[in-house]
Amino acid sequence: MKRFALAGNPNCGKTTLFNSLTGSTAHVGNWPGVTVDKRDGVYKKCAEPVKIIDLPGIYSLSPYTPEELIARNYILDEKPDCVINIVDATNLERNLYLTTQILEMDVPVVVALNMMDAVKKSGDSINAKLLEERLGVPVVEISALKETGLKELMDKAFNESKKIREGSTVLETSPLGHLIGDVKIALKGQNVANPLFHAVKLVEQDEIEANMHKETLPMVEEFKKTFNDEIFGGDFEALVADARYKYISSNFASVLSKKSKDTTKMSKSDKADKVLTHKWWGIPIFLVILFGIFHLTFGEDLLFLGKIFSLPSLEDLGLLNEDGDPINFGVRILATFYDGAVMSPGVWINNVWNDLIVGEFFGWLGGLVEESGMAPWAIGLINNGIFDGISAVLSFLPPILVLFLFFSILEDSGYMARIAFILDRMFRRFGLSGRAFMPMIMGFGCSVPAMINTRTLADDKERTATVRVIPFFSCGAKLPILTAVAGAIVAFFGVGNADVITFSMYLLGIVTAIVCVLLMRSTTLKGETPPFIMELPTYHVPQFKNLMAHLWDKTKHFVKKAFTIILASTIVIWALTHFSFNWTFLEDEQVNESILAGIAQLVQPIFTPLGFGSQLGSLGWVFVVAAVAGLIAKENVIATFATLAACLAAVTGLDLGGLAIDAEDGIDAVQAMIQATGITIPGLIAFIAFNMTTIPCFAAVATAKAELGNKSTYHWTLVFWLVASYVVSAIIYTVGSWWWTIFIWMVACAGLVACIIMRNKKAAKRLN
Amino acid sequence: MGPLEILLIVACAAIVIGVVVASIVKKKQGKSSCDCGGDCAHCAACRSQINKK
Repeated sequence: MKRFALAGNPNCGKTTLFNSLTGSTAHVGNWPGVTVDKRDGVYKKCAEPVKIIDLPGIYSLSPYTPEELIARNYILDEKPDCVINIVDATNLERNLYLTTQILEMDVPVVVALNMMDAVKKSGDSINAKLLEERLGVPVVEISALKETGLKELMDKAFNESKKIREGSTVLETSPLGHLIGDVKIALKGQNVANPLFHAVKLVEQDEIEANMHKETLPMVEEFKKTFNDEIFGGDFEALVADARYKYISSNFASVLSKKSKDTTKMSKSDKADKVLTHKWWGIPIFLVILFGIFHLTFGEDLLFLGKIFSLPSLEDLGLLNEDGDPINFGVRILATFYDGAVMSPGVWINNVWNDLIVGEFFGWLGGLVEESGMAPWAIGLINNGIFDGISAVLSFLPPILVLFLFFSILEDSGYMARIAFILDRMFRRFGLSGRAFMPMIMGFGCSVPAMINTRTLADDKERTATVRVIPFFSCGAKLPILTAVAGAIVAFFGVGNADVITFSMYLLGIVTAIVCVLLMRSTTLKGETPPFIMELPTYHVPQFKNLMAHLWDKTKHFVKKAFTIILASTIVIWALTHFSFNWTFLEDEQVNESILAGIAQLVQPIFTPLGFGSQLGSLGWVFVVAAVAGLIAKENVIATFATLAACLAAVTGLDLGGLAIDAEDGIDAVQAMIQATGITIPGLIAFIAFNMTTIPCFAAVATAKAELGNKSTYHWTLVFWLVASYVVSAIIYTVGSWWWTIFIWMVACAGLVACIIMRNKKAAKRLN
Repeated sequence: MGPLEILLIVACAAIVIGVVVASIVKKKQGKSSCDCGGDCAHCAACRSQINKK
């Protein structure tokens, strides 16, 4: 099968083209650096099927970061049958810099002028025919987004792949042209493939080439001794770059005709950036947007209208019966979006899903099981163990989808890249560049791709620090913990707002990440903060297709996980809570004699300073079990609560008010835990914080191990997660329970800072 | 113990063993068992890591 590689600058639309050609749904984002590894798919509309390889975006073939190396090595070593060079037509000259380098390879090339729809919309035009003549390779106008010109592009690429093409360079007339020619002849004599490309890179004194062709390097060194440029001196890399740009502007600038000659005129994106990336307003605007998202997802009082206008509740309106239930189906529907306040879209969808779909469905299933005539233990396993566990997790699907819809809109519109830009100044003070924010924000979705995305960071120490703090950015799987505990605090204790608590916990994660980075970059991971250069993409209206693809992927995975890992975990947890160490079956009320309780009670005292240890009495171990189960998958935390709720009710004899025993809502499951154990609000907040910041799920741990490479760094990372989560949770619990302890923590922090300063001063002295 | 209870035990054991075996096989194949919800373009990364080794 023929192989075509897609190569181009970051954010030029390679993955969009890849998805259009192969029908894939690979993640597309409106910021540079979404793709950090190659991936492949098949295009079937050519004369024969063709394998398409999507490469990470690169600005040049002189790599600085791991993902740039992947792109370069693929083209050089895997020798694709054709390279489709995607050029962002709205940014022609800069994109052609990479084109001039790809042309130096002995590989068929087709240039795809992407985003031509945007060029035409702005009234500009590009003479593709003229560009084709000057480049010497086919040029096709396309729009990957609107899927225009793709057939022509692939047909041309297919035809070109049958030809043999020798590399050509635009540097022939440059001051180094002669040297490049000589080196090329020398390399050709050594039977080196792609001699022209290697010759140019060797003349640039590219580190990789210098190591590969040590015998030819002296030739360049000799020439360097006799050469001195007025501007660049002996810096051949700068000289080559300058020669390329000069060639591009003198030969290719004329192919672009701009409608407006006034280059000072601001585009809509520039105008928006004047506000959104403002020096002072940028960060507050970001926080307001973030709060808006949480309010629209979790807020039970939309725009606080209920409080402002003192709207009547359903009870005040006489629409509830004596048991507090809606008097008819119409009121039941009304209750999903109004009860003394208009609910946010997220809460409304959540209520419809939980009250009318999940609740009814699992209630009906539970009824069938009850009537099946099975033994009570079997009914308990199915209804209390499996159904309650799974339904508690599934109950969080709506808020997850609504939250990720908003995040996808931010990402697709181009605003996410601006956040990295506005945070760069702040991050720099803590030893990170703004670039590190992109993988961190990806962590809100999932830590695994976020950790892999740290490959875009050139500095190893910066990478390690970023990988370590990524789990603090609460991922989708942790959302059920946050939502359930926050919801339970509001419902049980009647304090606060669920949206404010959830938003605060997200902020807590960010603040913890910043503090930890600051500590690491001042001690064990000291180093220069690399410069931050990031191209800000143009704002555009998010693509409906992309948004739906993101949500569909999320839903598919979440449901799949609920019926695999979570299902298996609930069975194991139920079994471990219903058998003693001598394998005798235990009734619900004997749960404290179970294997799980026995093991967890041993560990329970460790969590006493965090508020969910020994102070919770004989049943407090449930929080330990939930936290440990969360290491497999974070959704397991709530599934565990739901599975154990019936046992706890049986032990305490508490009337759980029809909560987790027969309801399929994770919030009810947490309320059951609160009633049974008597955990306090600070203890609950500390529990959320612990789960947010401790060792992430197995998948994320495995990724961290692969990405960090070094075993010792990986082991220290595990220690770091444990210590960080313990300290953060202890601070929250102690300060929340006894406010004056804040002074003790402040003194401890001051002592730590003083130690670091003294240590650094000593180290500096030793160096001097 | 009736047939329904036996069936339940067998099904539960099959689910637990199936999930564990599937995750081991997936890992051996070099596929990611990550939590990304498919919202990730990087599964090839795991394969390439293994190929490099």
